[in-house]
Amino acid sequence: MATVTDTQHAPHSHKPSGLSRWLTATNHKDIGTLYLWFSFTMFLSGGVMALCIRAELFHPGLQFFQPELFNQFTTLHGLIMVFGAIMPAFTGLANWMLPLMIGAPDMAFARMNNWSFWLLPPAALLLLTSFAVPGGAAAAGWTLYAPLSTQMGMGMDMTIFAIHIMGISSIMGSINIIVTILNLRAPGMTLMKMPMFAWATLITAYLIIAVMPVLAGAVTMVLTDRHFGTHFFNAAGGGDPILYQHVFWFFGHPEVYIMALPAFGIVSHVIPTFARKPLFGYTSMVYATSSIGILSFMVWAHHMFATGMPATAQLFFMYATMLIAVPTGVKVFNWIATMWEGAMTFETPMLFAIGFIMLFTIGGLSGVTLSVAAVDIALHASYYVVAHFHYVLVAGALFSLFAAIYYWFPKMTGKMYNERLGKLHFWWSMVWFNVTFFPMHFLGLAGMPRRIPDYALQFTTFNEIASVGAFCFGLGQLIFLYNMLVSIKYGEPAPQKPWEGADTLEWQIPTPAPYHSFTEAPDLEVAENGAIRAIKGGQHH
Amino acid sequence: MDRSHSANVVLLRKLALIALMMFGFAWALVPMYRVICEVTGLNQVAVADAAPSQAAGAGAEVTMTFDSMVQAGLPWQVRPLMSHLKARTGQFVRVDYEITNASDKRVVGQAVPRYLPAAAGEYVKKLDCFCFKQQSFAPGETKRFPVVFVIDPKMPREIGAITLAYSIFDVPGQGGS
Repeated sequence: MATVTDTQHAPHSHKPSGLSRWLTATNHKDIGTLYLWFSFTMFLSGGVMALCIRAELFHPGLQFFQPELFNQFTTLHGLIMVFGAIMPAFTGLANWMLPLMIGAPDMAFARMNNWSFWLLPPAALLLLTSFAVPGGAAAAGWTLYAPLSTQMGMGMDMTIFAIHIMGISSIMGSINIIVTILNLRAPGMTLMKMPMFAWATLITAYLIIAVMPVLAGAVTMVLTDRHFGTHFFNAAGGGDPILYQHVFWFFGHPEVYIMALPAFGIVSHVIPTFARKPLFGYTSMVYATSSIGILSFMVWAHHMFATGMPATAQLFFMYATMLIAVPTGVKVFNWIATMWEGAMTFETPMLFAIGFIMLFTIGGLSGVTLSVAAVDIALHASYYVVAHFHYVLVAGALFSLFAAIYYWFPKMTGKMYNERLGKLHFWWSMVWFNVTFFPMHFLGLAGMPRRIPDYALQFTTFNEIASVGAFCFGLGQLIFLYNMLVSIKYGEPAPQKPWEGADTLEWQIPTPAPYHSFTEAPDLEVAENGAIRAIKGGQHH
Repeated sequence: MDRSHSANVVLLRKLALIALMMFGFAWALVPMYRVICEVTGLNQVAVADAAPSQAAGAGAEVTMTFDSMVQAGLPWQVRPLMSHLKARTGQFVRVDYEITNASDKRVVGQAVPRYLPAAAGEYVKKLDCFCFKQQSFAPGETKRFPVVFVIDPKMPREIGAITLAYSIFDVPGQGGS
């Protein structure tokens, strides 16, 4: 299947320079870099909002922000972290690494790739500038539930428009990923041999294509309800706000796995590399990933146990949700089995990957707790939910992204990052993450509701602890930024294969990765999880 | 190059088609939601119930409170002619509501009943109600409607009091507004 795409360049090795290199970028590495810096910028701006939230919650009563602005912070923090930070970061990594891992010259549609990225900054600007319009930014929570979302000011329209744009961007990115994986693999790189990261991004891309249009439909209905006299969600006109929740969560639950599956893929490379053993149960990993993807379409109403569903429906969604713990458990088992009796070393990527497994498992367990319909009635919309999804998204998606960046940094830049700073970054994040989010379990169990700027006095101590943790955690991310900036410029030159146990295709090419890699497809002999046994041909310049 | 390029484009078209179909699916969820609710009987508060089979003897006493609600900006004035009533389970009860169209236009309205506690809803069997269909009003017209219901004797004893509240909504595109 490996063939040359429209990205075949004349044999020149110079790169376009200056701003136009980035504006007109069609090279998958340049676009990947753009995605990663964009998502880090969004991570910082969403993080500042999180710190505003935690500052307000440090003490009961209103200190810094009025409730309206507080609600805008919680809403935009969620939207920016989901659509601006986590999703583009994974797309960026896929852009950088997929062609290198499967022996393709570039992504299948290089110009569409450029467009996918450059749609994102305008969407981000729409979200950020909406704070300045009359009525402020959207304040209905990141879920944009009707009837709140059908009533707010023009900040909501800007948010809806931003979601449309980001949705189109991620759909185009996903089409690119699927076509690249299905059509551009090098000879020998068969589907059941290819790296787990490729599998994870492939299934994620299918999920995105299936559900981002549903979200687009839901927010379009909100838009027409707001301006064009329809009554999809307006009870006064015969509509039903519960319908919004059904449509939203039909998107929303697969979205959870859109942010988790690529993380599983990354960890499935980092763990074998630093355990110096092949991934345990590769085939079961592939099937587990696929079944999580399929099951994610059947569980959406577990977000809606408090809406008064019939008991039969609650039972169905409860059991279906618990079922997802089975393939997820298979994965966790396989990662641990991979480490078992391995010759492990603990470089920064490995630390983040092990931290991921531990904390993601805690987040998974609180997820199983929440899936019990009877328990969820009490915990719904409490801080227990906030703790749960930050364990799977911050310690899950974000930690895996850090692992990936440290892991592939040498290949991307040709330099080594500073290992001591990397380890400091991990331990700092690990400690303060738990200080921030573990007390939220207790707050939720004690009944503190989410999305409120003020709270009853008995919640004070745990909130103080969480706020201190959040500020330290946020500050610690500057260690990462500093490490990256300094290492890109002054880091030690990296060898072609800095990790002894790394065996996938991207480590078979020079470091830093040549601007045009695999302009001629290599002939590969591949073992499971993309491990390269023999390579013939393949040209870079 | 041409052949592989066109293979990529064919796959691109297929995937884009899936995305478009899923956008359509989002809209198809709206009628699906309605049909599923109708078939399963969920959320069907505005249809007539069958009278429960009579239980022997006088049932338990239940305090009924009647209420009404109009959202801001809608032209309705609604009031029950009595606000409280002591009823017994298994007994036919009739209460009258008076609805006025306070606007100078012809309007069509739809009433939606609500019960407190919500669990009582399934035991209040409405035999006749103005909420079963849309009601049309001339400008300034006032109409009086009966509501006839039976409280099912199977209702748990813990529910000693029930509030029945109607919200009246405008049906868009039907009136003159």
